Amino acid sequence: MIRLTWLQFRAQAVAAAAALAAFAVLLAATGPHLASLYAADGLDSCRGSSCLSMAVYFSASLTTGPYGVLFLLSTGIILLAPAVIGLFWGAPLIARELETGTADLAWNQSVTRTRWLAVKLTVIGLTAMALTEALCLMQTWWAAPISQAVADGAGSGAAQSRFSQLNFASHGIAPLGYAAFAFALGVTAGALIRRTVPAMALTLAIFAALQVAMPLWVRPNLAPPDHIVIPVTSLGAAIPSETGAGGTIFTLFAITVPGQPGAWLLSSGPVNAAGQATSTAPAACTSVEGTSPSPGTNQGASPEGATTGPLAFRGCLASHGIREAITYQPASRYWRFQATETAIYLALALALTGYCFRRLNHHLT
Amino acid sequence: MSAAAEGPGQSNAAIEASGLGKAYRRTWALRDCTLAIPEGRVVGLVGPNGAGKTTLLRLATGMLTPTRGTISVLGERLAAGPAQLARVGYVAQDTPAYARMRVADHLRLGAWLNPGWDDDLARRRIAQVGLDPRQRAGSLSGGQRAQLALTLALAKRPGLLLLDEPVAGLDPLARREFLRGLMEAVAEHGTSVVLSSHLVADLERVCDYLIVLVASRVRIAGEVSELLAAHRRLSGPRRDPGTLPAGQDVIEGSHTDKQSTLLVRTDGPIHDPAWAVTPVSTEELVLAYMNPANDIPARRPRLGVAS
Repeated sequence: MIRLTWLQFRAQAVAAAAALAAFAVLLAATGPHLASLYAADGLDSCRGSSCLSMAVYFSASLTTGPYGVLFLLSTGIILLAPAVIGLFWGAPLIARELETGTADLAWNQSVTRTRWLAVKLTVIGLTAMALTEALCLMQTWWAAPISQAVADGAGSGAAQSRFSQLNFASHGIAPLGYAAFAFALGVTAGALIRRTVPAMALTLAIFAALQVAMPLWVRPNLAPPDHIVIPVTSLGAAIPSETGAGGTIFTLFAITVPGQPGAWLLSSGPVNAAGQATSTAPAACTSVEGTSPSPGTNQGASPEGATTGPLAFRGCLASHGIREAITYQPASRYWRFQATETAIYLALALALTGYCFRRLNHHLT
Repeated sequence: MSAAAEGPGQSNAAIEASGLGKAYRRTWALRDCTLAIPEGRVVGLVGPNGAGKTTLLRLATGMLTPTRGTISVLGERLAAGPAQLARVGYVAQDTPAYARMRVADHLRLGAWLNPGWDDDLARRRIAQVGLDPRQRAGSLSGGQRAQLALTLALAKRPGLLLLDEPVAGLDPLARREFLRGLMEAVAEHGTSVVLSSHLVADLERVCDYLIVLVASRVRIAGEVSELLAAHRRLSGPRRDPGTLPAGQDVIEGSHTDKQSTLLVRTDGPIHDPAWAVTPVSTEELVLAYMNPANDIPARRPRLGVAS
């Protein structure tokens, strides 16, 4: 049965190997140059705080060059690979046999349907997982300078946190789970609908929906988040504000979690002295909000000495006990998140696979 | 244990069905099917399209599970295990093959998946029917593909071979070639065969056992020779069929003003001198039983359980 699976899967396997080789050549040809750029920007020999500005410069320079594009492109390929596998390897696996009638040929040899499916799922499923993870590992090697810049503190341009949606889903072990799940999903859709093209459409719709839902609603809750409360004066962000009938409505966001490099910031917002979320400034601060300062009033004045304007407003908020509450996941939980998410997708893949076996034996003919 | 006890494996029936029924949602594709087909026969399963022929064959392969009743094939109740799969060959309607695989690849498939694979037989047959092993199955003609599918099923060396409308898509010449090849192989290995068709003419020359299936029910089943011996065509002066003696059941009758022509089932010779008695052909017999307008008398023919 393994030999038959290989015979029938050979063409797809060769195509996949060719794609993988092209990907490898592209990254191998450009990787050393990217690393040399990193070294040329002085990042390999920097010490302490000087690294940050170099890292920021390095990541900013990538955005304008070809490497930023290449980074996004390779990330996109890793994210799309599971979907393509689900569509073109998963969905036809049972559906095409039923469509062309060859199921009657395949399932009337001296091999049970259970064994037929078990071997096909194992061989193709493992290939799918290996292929996706190989793409992922190659890109991880290629993008090592970018990851290092992130670790050095760069947080813009090509250098995004490991927890950012694109990076999380294209690195670590998560792609293994996605590949296994997308393949099993395709097979199941094919077994349910019995026609290849509609099964492909259903596979794509469900997989895409899940890949959007996961980072938005599921992943942040995989572990209880941590909370800290920091003074508003430590925030570098400006304060957009607006004067309403009940006072000044304002918002205040944190961009990073102070003292937690690489943490995943989930939400942030001002709280009052009692610790309750607030968005209304005390009346006393309204006079210093400075939303529409007359031109020139602040010119030349040092920020500390300003009596109106964003900094003075923030100081006023702080003196009235308003602080910033931040909800986040510390960077140290990265691998725990990777493992949990991979486990979820693998469990879903197993559940779908179990359903396929049931359906194959009881409903499909 | 009494000598009459018949356990699995001791039965000499190729297919034995009892009260067998299969429903899809609320529609019965086959119902109340009770049959005992002896081994070593070439069975013609005849019926109009949609009569339940495919359903009966697929129940026998184990690809379908019965809604009601039981079916055992070569003495085994379930066709789930690899051993039973090996004993039953099945050629589905339209004789499917993998379009992108070569003829030789199909033979390799057969060799890999069947422990009892007879590679000599497969190669000999492929050469005999003039198939090029390097040709892709997708470019074969209907007749060639049917020969390929038959070769795969035969080389598995099954005890029972089930063929669903194997000649429906073939031209008369290919039809004859296919049936001749089938009969040669069957004669060589003593395989039991069930082949279905909606045309009795396809099967007349090769079958020694007949099952007529109409509207998901078995109308008649039995050895062709016994069926022919038990039916007569009577023609004579017009007469009410109800006045026939006991033991003679009218299967089909047509009447003109003066004359009656009846096809009767009888358990003895016809003595009434008023009748001109002629034997019936297989085709006439099958057509009479296939005609849904004919009300088949309730008495179950004893022939149906002949074994």
